Amino acid sequence: MGHAVSYEDDGTPQEQSRRKFMVNMVVGLSGVIGLVLGIPLVATMIPDSKTGGATWSPLSDDEMKKLQAATEKPIKVTFNVHTVDGYLTPADDEQFVWAIKTTDAKMRAARPELFDGKTKLTYPVINMGFVLFSPICPHLGCRYVLDTDGKFLCHCHGSRYDDLGVHIAGPAQRGLDPLPLREHDGKGEVTWIHYKGNEPDHVILSYT
Amino acid sequence: MLTWLDQRTGVVTATKDFLTEDVPGGASYWYAFGSATVFAMIIQIVTGMFLTLYYSPSASTAWASTYYIYSKVPFGKFIISTHYWGASAMIAFMALHLLQVLIWGAYKKPRELQWIVGVVLFLLTIVLGLTGYLLPWDQNAFLASQVAIQIAGSVPIVGNATVAFLQDGATLGTLTINRFFGIHVWLVPAVLIGLVGAHLAIFRWNGAAGPPVDEAPKLKAGRFWPDQMFMDIVVSFAMFVVIVVLAIVAPPILDGRADPNNNAFIAYPAWYFLALFDLLSIVGTFPDAIVPTLDLVATVIFPGLLVGVLVLLPFLDRNPSRRISRRPWILGVTALTMAGAIGLSLHGQVGIQVAQAAIKYQAPNDAELEKLNESYNSAPASTGSAAVVGAVAALPGMKEGAAVYTANCSGCHAATGLGQTGVFPPLAKNDYVTGDTKALIHTLNYGLQGPIKVNGAAYNGQMPAWKGQLKDEEIAQVLTYIRNSWGNKGSAITAKDVAAVAK
Repeated sequence: MGHAVSYEDDGTPQEQSRRKFMVNMVVGLSGVIGLVLGIPLVATMIPDSKTGGATWSPLSDDEMKKLQAATEKPIKVTFNVHTVDGYLTPADDEQFVWAIKTTDAKMRAARPELFDGKTKLTYPVINMGFVLFSPICPHLGCRYVLDTDGKFLCHCHGSRYDDLGVHIAGPAQRGLDPLPLREHDGKGEVTWIHYKGNEPDHVILSYT
Repeated sequence: MLTWLDQRTGVVTATKDFLTEDVPGGASYWYAFGSATVFAMIIQIVTGMFLTLYYSPSASTAWASTYYIYSKVPFGKFIISTHYWGASAMIAFMALHLLQVLIWGAYKKPRELQWIVGVVLFLLTIVLGLTGYLLPWDQNAFLASQVAIQIAGSVPIVGNATVAFLQDGATLGTLTINRFFGIHVWLVPAVLIGLVGAHLAIFRWNGAAGPPVDEAPKLKAGRFWPDQMFMDIVVSFAMFVVIVVLAIVAPPILDGRADPNNNAFIAYPAWYFLALFDLLSIVGTFPDAIVPTLDLVATVIFPGLLVGVLVLLPFLDRNPSRRISRRPWILGVTALTMAGAIGLSLHGQVGIQVAQAAIKYQAPNDAELEKLNESYNSAPASTGSAAVVGAVAALPGMKEGAAVYTANCSGCHAATGLGQTGVFPPLAKNDYVTGDTKALIHTLNYGLQGPIKVNGAAYNGQMPAWKGQLKDEEIAQVLTYIRNSWGNKGSAITAKDVAAVAK
């Protein structure tokens, strides 16, 4: 690489002024290019904020029969949720909820926060004589299990809930999340809601 | 702050060293093509990285994810269009750079290797264009890539192995898309960036060649920074403005999803392959006996020779002078080649437009693309043959009808029953198909021509008469099939029904 001789002389005042203009233009035009490309590029990464509206997913005849035969012991009820996953062909995904036969009075006594105050739910907690719990642990989103003692246990971080979803141990900040249930044309229908974890309030993330 | 950084990394000194460079004879806009090419490459890398956040390489998701980028991702259409026009800009400016170096004789000693690396960079960029062309997986991408792969297959000795490598299977499908994606996104860019580094390092070692004179050392030196850098950025900025404007006013066409059964589509190559495309069509007009030989010449021997001459040019051209007036031969051949390439490209483009006009081809607009996307979501991706699924398979003649459809109808109406926008009407979700059976039988028996409207879109094609070509029973079977496929529901049709409809 040879020694650059053109920089040895600073040049005339006109040349120096011209070079200052060139430097400013290089910086300015680079900035324009950066903005014109940069803004759309960052914008492409903004996720679709539309979560889709709440929809009712029907229980199959078999699941409906299973629900009607349920006792106070929690049972698993499965159903299909119509999901749209990006550009993939929309499909029905199987989900399950925990159903427990109970009464409004029992639930009000056990979980008053669902009926009053800041954490109140906007839909009825008890429907058709049942409460349906989302299978997602309100701590950090794992799926909890029904333990041998009839209580719910999340294996991820040890949160425990009783059969009415009351938080009894572990790091979760709220009890289990009831989901909407209704009777429609003789069939049970569920709305699937994905709530945000690790906080006392019910913040809806999505309906899928 | 900068001093602190420089003491620990030397980055400021390195940048100063990089920018402090003599330009023999002073800065010139003629030298800005190379830097504009590098800038276009940066645009391609940056926009390409963001496209990979959404693009999914498989036969069932490539089109859908491309359409998703077009229609749902904020600024997605702008970014994909910038990538499309950026590719054209990169190839165009690289060709201009190559041409300028060739005309100025800057490939001569001691810059032979710099030239060879440059030619390899040009070839790699063409490979990027070729592999990127397939990725949207629309009808044109599919057909154009199929042709390109077949051409690669006609190369003697290594042809079959090349096809096996590129296609990764008996036909174009998911594995081909994955392979092209890997080559387009990882393999070639990695090699390209390495070679650009080598090209620049060799350039700095030799210094700029300067204007086409034989006494370059006597020229007064100009400055790279900021004089040449200013001119570089002015040209790059102008190129950028053109790319952005084209991306906004002329986004690339997305046709319907690739359908191997659609044989009515007029495929067209990227503009930088138009000359070879046209050469191939001209060859087809020669007497049959010599077509295979000429075909090989047009697709393999001639392009191969051109590449060979380009690579070896510094060694083939023994003329020591760089002066334009003293190199009539090399510049004459260059001018003739360029004129031939431009002439063939224009002729090829006119040919494509005439062929598209003949079938009244219209690229699908946004609303039509949305309809296509919805219909794809309700119909499985074509596997190349019509399929009968579910309870309707129990209807008499469904299975046989599917075979009749694949053999005779899918070429125009497509295996998905979606036809081709503006040219062949869809049969899927078409009330005419599931409605009055007599009218439908009449259309199949005796054909149909003149303007019609299907699902709000106008068509003016010609449906051939099938009576005599197909037996009444086959017509009944195919009608039962189209009335009960792709979401359609209609009664079965018998051979007796077909025979009863008179002209």
